[in-house]
Amino acid sequence: MTKTTDLSRRRLMQASAALGAGALAGSAFPAWRARAAEEMTMWWWGEQELPGLQGYVDEVVKKYGAATVKPMLQDTAVVISQFQTAAAAGNAPDIQFLWNGIYHMESVWLGYVQALDGLVKDDVLKASQPTLLSNYDGHTYRMGWYPLPMIWIYNKDMFEKAGLDPEKAPETWDAFLAACEKLKSAGMSPVGGGIQDGYWGEWFFGHGLAQCVDSPGQAVELFTGERSFEDPAYHAPWVKLEELKKAGFLNPEMSSTELYPGIDLIVAGKVAMGESIGSRMPADSKKTNGKIGAMVMPVFGKSKLAGKPIFDTQGIGISKDAKDPKAAAAFLEFLQAPEQLKLLHEKTGWLPSNNTFDTSVIQDAAVVSMWKRWGQGENIPYVANVVPGQWYEQALLPAGQQVVAGKITGAEAGALAAKVAKEWRDFNPDMVDHYKKWAKDLG
Amino acid sequence: MDQTSRLKPYLYVAPLVALLLFVFGYPLVQIFEYSFKQIRGIDGPWIGFRNYELIFGQDLFWEAVRHNLMLLIAIPIMIAWSLLVAILLYDRLKGWKVYRIVIFVPYILAVPIIAAIMKKMFQFNGPVNEALRWLGADFLALDWIGSSDYALWTVMLLIIWREAALGIVLFLARLLNLDESLTEAAKLDGANWWQRVWYVILPQMRVVIEFYAVISVITMLSSVFAYVYIMGGGRGGPGTSTMVVELYIFGAIVRQSLPGIASAVSVLLFLVSLLLIVPLFAMRRRANEEETA
Repeated sequence: MTKTTDLSRRRLMQASAALGAGALAGSAFPAWRARAAEEMTMWWWGEQELPGLQGYVDEVVKKYGAATVKPMLQDTAVVISQFQTAAAAGNAPDIQFLWNGIYHMESVWLGYVQALDGLVKDDVLKASQPTLLSNYDGHTYRMGWYPLPMIWIYNKDMFEKAGLDPEKAPETWDAFLAACEKLKSAGMSPVGGGIQDGYWGEWFFGHGLAQCVDSPGQAVELFTGERSFEDPAYHAPWVKLEELKKAGFLNPEMSSTELYPGIDLIVAGKVAMGESIGSRMPADSKKTNGKIGAMVMPVFGKSKLAGKPIFDTQGIGISKDAKDPKAAAAFLEFLQAPEQLKLLHEKTGWLPSNNTFDTSVIQDAAVVSMWKRWGQGENIPYVANVVPGQWYEQALLPAGQQVVAGKITGAEAGALAAKVAKEWRDFNPDMVDHYKKWAKDLG
Repeated sequence: MDQTSRLKPYLYVAPLVALLLFVFGYPLVQIFEYSFKQIRGIDGPWIGFRNYELIFGQDLFWEAVRHNLMLLIAIPIMIAWSLLVAILLYDRLKGWKVYRIVIFVPYILAVPIIAAIMKKMFQFNGPVNEALRWLGADFLALDWIGSSDYALWTVMLLIIWREAALGIVLFLARLLNLDESLTEAAKLDGANWWQRVWYVILPQMRVVIEFYAVISVITMLSSVFAYVYIMGGGRGGPGTSTMVVELYIFGAIVRQSLPGIASAVSVLLFLVSLLLIVPLFAMRRRANEEETA
């Protein structure tokens, strides 16, 4: 009996030793494996906000004959960190999804992304509408993939019920306040949505700050210390938000409702006006039989950007680790070919980011009207895309929520923003010079 | 026993020890190293204690610490509630076996699931407030998750509800192992229910209560991420009212590209947890000794 126990124990220990040695040996070698020269990896994101994009990606990589492209859908929380970590380790994918502005510019400054000019044909790159915020030091680092018009929407039925012209959205702040008053008197929630997750506050600020600066470069200077949020000229968006709160124009459930359920309230006729995004327009318009209209945020500012439609795009680029940057560029060009643009529309119901795309395929008049103004007319980039991540998390989102909850004033939000901007400079001294240079580029 | 025989056992376990050191030890050393560097990507220049200076000088960090400390308020409530329920179940309340399962269900459900459901329930126009309004208690229909005055308390309520389930099971397991003759003797001596609980049952449960208190402290300081992430809109909101240290670390590394800062806070959290684990092990040792005795 004793002998058996000893043997078992010994065998167990031997097995453990073998297991441990095996695992150690396995982990000691890098997970490198040879990849054929014509094989490319593509890390992408977007299915989360544009259902159907996965089907489109699967089909285009299957169609592409010049190389094998291996796509991988990234999780929202790690799009940037996963790429930056892989790039720092010299193992980034050939093609990478890139959000606009600072969300890819930090990777540019770290040398993780290649400039596309010279790799992708100029006319193709320009037609993809990467927007000004993809530029740094005279180079363009992203190709547009699908557009995101930043819009306000209003419910035409509610306007009619309140005695307002459903075909004429308010354009000035005064006209907007007058419309809110009428809607409130008719027993309706004039404006709002949901800010529990904070994004509504970001959008409001993004629309509002565009009315306070003459160029995106001026917005960048709010972080380099050359301008300050304590200046009433730059915390005006939060003062306007405070005005709406104090007048009782915001929907009461706003603080406990998230962004998209909040937009649903406008579509459902429970809130009259609020912020949305162009890619929702086809579905929202269809659901309401065309009763959702798109509008630009009513104008309170006097800057050069005030009153202009805001146009953002999601994009893709080529990493520094691309084995064959020209082959990667050829794939990006392939995505901008008419057949692939059409395929994106078919799979997602949304539009590709390309100003040569034949928009006659769009049937909905409201979507056509929105696209003509935001996508094809004079537009401006989304200035909230220049804010640093730390400031976004610790000032922008909390400030919006607290103003909506009536806990702080617009001026106090400005003071918080200025304090966190200073903290950002202390925490990121290596980024400040890049920001200064970027401000000049965008000026 | 010769030299080789003495070494043999150590040789057998050496590969596994090496593997464990690689899996747990290496990241730990790396975190300590990162906390003294300004990391971009996977490395950066040595900056001494600058990351610690920045953290200690930031209001938001201290606010996160304060919120973690506020969550400690939940612990006496959890202990009292768990004890009460466990003792009631121990008294063979009719259907106690069913209650025991029902009470433990929250603990086996994933936190994100129950937090998401709880979030829906506590919305301004959610079922909780609708019920309160229906009952005529409109003054109690608060903005539970939308107001920075109540959000942390709402999160605490959820934590108490879920984490107390573990306490109930632990306490009940201990109660079922008690020497019933002592309780019976007290009963024969005329001790009422309260006296039996206070003078007979609780003294015998001291060790398990201490154990539960210590693991609850560790939970409140370093394992509430999932609760606040879901309930606070992923960012410790509204405002920064539900920001806790773990979420601060997550934000620093994932959303702000500041691995050096995240590492420095992780080091602090690790050291605090270590300080708490020492008494935990002491208690477990004492419990083992008591059981052996």
